[in-house]
Amino acid sequence: MSARSTGWLLFAVFALAVPFPALGPFGGFVPAVHHVALFAATLAVAVVEGTAGPVLQILALFAVHALATLALCALAAWLGARALKPLSPRARAAIAGALCAALLAAAIAFPLYETPFGRQPTANLFGVFG
Amino acid sequence: MRAVAACLALVALGAHAGELPFTRTESREPCARYDPLRQPFFGDTHVHTAFSFDAWGQGTLAAPRDAYRFARGEAIGIQPYDADGRARAQIQLRRPLDFAAVTDHSDLLGETQICQNPALPGYGSLVCRVVRRFPKLGYALVNGYVYSSEHPTRYSFCGEDGAGCRDAGRGPWREIQDAAEAYYDRSAACRLTTFVGYEWTGMPAGDNLHRNVIFRNAVAQAYPTTYIETPTPEGLWRALESECLGARNGCDVLAIPHNSNVSNGRMFTATRSDGAPLTADDARERARLETLVEVTQHKGDSECRAGAQDELCNYEKLTMARMMDMAGTGPAAPLPPNIYVREALGLGLVLGQQLGANPFRLGLIGSTDTHLAAPGMVDEDQFRGHAAGTVSVRWGVPPYPDRPDFNPGGLAVLWAEENSRDALFEAMRRREAYGTSGPRITVRLFGGWTYPDDLCGDAAFAAKGYAGGVPMGGDLPPAPGGAGAPKLAVWALRDPGGSGAPSAPLQRIQIVKGWAEHGESRERVYDVAGDPASGGDLDLATCTPAPGADQLCRVWTDPDFDAAAPAFYYARVVEIPSCRWNTWACNAHHVDCASPDSVPRELATCCDARVPRSIQERAWTSPIWYTPRQP
Repeated sequence: MSARSTGWLLFAVFALAVPFPALGPFGGFVPAVHHVALFAATLAVAVVEGTAGPVLQILALFAVHALATLALCALAAWLGARALKPLSPRARAAIAGALCAALLAAAIAFPLYETPFGRQPTANLFGVFG
Repeated sequence: MRAVAACLALVALGAHAGELPFTRTESREPCARYDPLRQPFFGDTHVHTAFSFDAWGQGTLAAPRDAYRFARGEAIGIQPYDADGRARAQIQLRRPLDFAAVTDHSDLLGETQICQNPALPGYGSLVCRVVRRFPKLGYALVNGYVYSSEHPTRYSFCGEDGAGCRDAGRGPWREIQDAAEAYYDRSAACRLTTFVGYEWTGMPAGDNLHRNVIFRNAVAQAYPTTYIETPTPEGLWRALESECLGARNGCDVLAIPHNSNVSNGRMFTATRSDGAPLTADDARERARLETLVEVTQHKGDSECRAGAQDELCNYEKLTMARMMDMAGTGPAAPLPPNIYVREALGLGLVLGQQLGANPFRLGLIGSTDTHLAAPGMVDEDQFRGHAAGTVSVRWGVPPYPDRPDFNPGGLAVLWAEENSRDALFEAMRRREAYGTSGPRITVRLFGGWTYPDDLCGDAAFAAKGYAGGVPMGGDLPPAPGGAGAPKLAVWALRDPGGSGAPSAPLQRIQIVKGWAEHGESRERVYDVAGDPASGGDLDLATCTPAPGADQLCRVWTDPDFDAAAPAFYYARVVEIPSCRWNTWACNAHHVDCASPDSVPRELATCCDARVPRSIQERAWTSPIWYTPRQP
């Protein structure tokens, strides 16, 4: 596995599974991808129905969260890939794969997330996206 | 024996059947419990159910019929619900109410149905999908889109001109009326009176202008007026005039504004919504349709401005001036003028001098604004939260049930001859009404010129009160020759408690006076009965109140009366300190702030020293007005 591929893999798993706090009035801990989903849903409503009321403020809030959490994931993935770069491709793939598998397993096994916009107060990975 | 009792009852009923002091506009049995000197009836005129978008969005599934079952003392289920739709929590009033009005939001009535019902066109729309997939996001987006827009519109899934959503709203509007009819006790027992109602939910730019609309009897508007189609209070009043009062079909109606405390100063103004100055006709129309104001409810107290002038105003105050700012976390903006009822009463005196008509002749009531379909659930130890705010209850009421600055709300109390729609509605219209912060305090207030100082000890207090003057909500009659200053006779009885309801004795009665002077309003508060120093020994660990008075009474003469200055007087009856809801909740969970590590995160606010742990519950009577004679 190339260093670049390792970085992308780590980025994808971090974005999918690492819980980030939702600041502002709503609260919660959700993955970056969920922040992106909230932004996308709000953007879609804004495009279809307009921006009356607090839609723009909510959109801005989610945009900041989505960008900030994706940036943190990217930074962490870049640092991880850089740390693994001296290793052989096989070792790099094994360590990155193990790290991702452990993270995903924890995200599935435990209710790591608080989902203020979802249907349950706490959830595992499936609950966040289910 | 039974026959004799029946005959006596018939004789008693017959004694008042032909000479009712109110107009009977409906077919019903007279109430067995009838008192020509009137009785206090306790109720709630601000109740939301699953028909309100914000209540449904927070997981409330209880419908208007559940709310009325709850009001008459039955247990109902609340969230959370299991997969089969069975409620996993139950609530029940300790003491049934005498009356209640379900006032679901007229706005979004149809949208709420469409997003719930797959059979309705629009169910699959983007907005409904977002609402169902991300309920709290949907709540923020949709509430804000409709309620807080300066130019509200309907969503595209409502179809051409919003007709689809208005059509979808006809079902719930019919059910609101049918539920009120089904639970209105038309028998002589008169257990529960229900009113058909709704809430007009205008909130331009986030400034709260909400009104509850209450109909006198079963005759109501064909469709409730909405903020979307009718975005100004003047438009609402015109609609009530043309679609109800002027319809000549027996329809009669009042509008009750609430939460002026978050109106950003727009609830009570000297101008119309279009910026034009009020005219005398405007003032008269408003005073005719808006005889009452909700002075307290979940979202804070609206009586008076916290400050040095009246220390008891520092009570259940929100720190933001706009409803929309509740969701924010930033510093509070300065509070504008005229956001409190006392300020409005004063402004009304000034405008009355200028226009010849006072637009703010407001009687005072309390209510809850429950979004759990739980009217009258006001006991501090039973608070389950507002259920439509920023604290989510979709997954069940949290152990710290709401924001620390919210409260369980209050009750409306009406002095009426019997517990029927006509008798209660006329009490609302003549403002013989008062509000409490929850306790069932009984208060009488009469104003006149010649009450004897020993009236308090007189068994005929009420009869002489009516005979010698006017009750709360009235205008002082012209002063007889030689009369000096007006006399107010005020009597209060503590909440007797019972059925496990916590209750506390009284501390004092105050008279709040406002008057107009040189085109400005002034105010002063007088302690007239009781001991302001009593009751300071509240045990916060057990919530056992200190001793106080079971009843207080006084005939008070205004020592600062100026016959040339228009004035209002109302009574405020104050209990000794008792535990606030947060203290009950934190005690119930055995929170020990001395060991912070043991305090669960969801109860951390228990240890926030900024949150008051005790309150002084109270009652506010409607004012009595004095108007100088024209020279």
